[in-house]
Amino acid sequence: MNSNRRDFLKFASLAAAGWSFPKAIHGATTAPRVVVIGGGFGGATVAKYLKLWGGNIDVTLIDRAASHYACILSNLVVTGALPMDRINLSFNSLKTKRGVNVVQGEALSVDPSAKEVVVNVGGTTYAYAYDKLVLAPGIEFINPAGNYNDQLTPHAWKAGPQTLLLKNQLAAMTSKQTFVMTIPKSPYRCPPGPYERACAVADVLKRKKKGAKIIVLDANASIQAEPVNFGNAFKSTYKGILTYVPNATVNEVNSATKTIITAAGTFKGAVLNVIPNQRAGQIVTTAGLANDPTARWSVVNPLNYASTAHPDIHILGDSQATSQPKSGHMANSQAKVCADAIIRAFNGEEPDQNPVTSSACFSPITATTAAWLTASFQYDPVTKTMKRVEASFAEAAKPTSDGMQQMFQWADNIFADSFV
Amino acid sequence: MKAKTYIRSALVAVTAVIASSVQAAPPPGQLLASMCFQCHGTNGQAVGGFESISGKSAREIYNELLEMSKRKKPEGIMDLQARAYTPGQILLIANYLATLPKAANSDD
Repeated sequence: MNSNRRDFLKFASLAAAGWSFPKAIHGATTAPRVVVIGGGFGGATVAKYLKLWGGNIDVTLIDRAASHYACILSNLVVTGALPMDRINLSFNSLKTKRGVNVVQGEALSVDPSAKEVVVNVGGTTYAYAYDKLVLAPGIEFINPAGNYNDQLTPHAWKAGPQTLLLKNQLAAMTSKQTFVMTIPKSPYRCPPGPYERACAVADVLKRKKKGAKIIVLDANASIQAEPVNFGNAFKSTYKGILTYVPNATVNEVNSATKTIITAAGTFKGAVLNVIPNQRAGQIVTTAGLANDPTARWSVVNPLNYASTAHPDIHILGDSQATSQPKSGHMANSQAKVCADAIIRAFNGEEPDQNPVTSSACFSPITATTAAWLTASFQYDPVTKTMKRVEASFAEAAKPTSDGMQQMFQWADNIFADSFV
Repeated sequence: MKAKTYIRSALVAVTAVIASSVQAAPPPGQLLASMCFQCHGTNGQAVGGFESISGKSAREIYNELLEMSKRKKPEGIMDLQARAYTPGQILLIANYLATLPKAANSDD
């Protein structure tokens, strides 16, 4: 750890002195270069649409993983209803169909003056030069105090191995045991997601583990999304199985003794699913771009998602600080606004002054029904913010089996529009 | 002051070089219409389930969206999504979608 850090610092000072060490990617090229960090819904979409709309732009997408596991539908992997493969999204189409240069590696630092990002690719560090840099690294967790260990107490809030950990713990539960989950303080990734998870787990307990219970500890004062559908599910559908506790800020987690100490009391369970509080992805913080009042998220211009700190660094999706919900669907919207604005900038033009973004999603409430939520946002030139169009904001009247069918159609289309 | 101006003009020159290799500025309506692609497929060609929306007459799309936005009691997601846009934006979307090739799975 220490020696890595030293190497990194040594390199940073060389870079500041104008050295191109260790290895400069991209030599002489006429095409403008965009480097995208993070291959989730935001990063994949911006890479795809820069190629689709921009033509001759050199686009490099860098992600730690070989493919992206979608959080969308992942609660149904936790319950065992879907296999892991269903949410495994390949980067192959971005490479072969769209011509994106996809690199598996981890972004370590950004040098805004040299316009380079340093990336660890299989143990070697490379400097990637850019004309525009897009950071879409998702979220990082603010781990709770105490003897907390996410391998024992999975969050399953970044899909992948964590999803399987929680799935296996749920499957191993016996009747009469208790599942305890925590909901982070807003803002966090996917506002309806934790309540959807509570329903998905409660449904399994109700059908397969008689007498088992779920306790939902919410750091917020009330249900943060779809209060009607989740409220009804908590009160009626899962009556006697699910207990909802608001204002339960987590003070401490002990993964070994399976204990959570909150502002609303101390809770124990056979399975703990702690979803910690969140901030922007690490590279955003490392680059000094987490510049909102909480120092957790990045302030951007919503006309092009450029950081207020560096005009050639764009931050979109979960990491940015606008009041738009943090979701894959919303990240796809923002990515298109960003791609359009970058192409315009390469043409010497201003961004579109009237963008609209949209967030729509479906949440399973039982094994056979789902509800939906939708909201759209228009740019308000007075406040220079994206403002929710109140007439476009609503949740489904009730969960339906049609909703369940539409959920899969929605997932297939948003997966393809972002990754294919 | 002078140095600043010099730097700015150098940046403009760089932008001009870059511009020569990139496709022309986006056509009107493209960005707005791409919000539809989330559920109705890239370039309006859905991968299944929802309707493909490319290559239809602009009038048809415009009227349909306007009707949804005015429905007294919104029912589905589309009635709400349609309310996100001004009539002018709906017109831009309809005109752009009409220029896209019709999907092989189009139902008309």
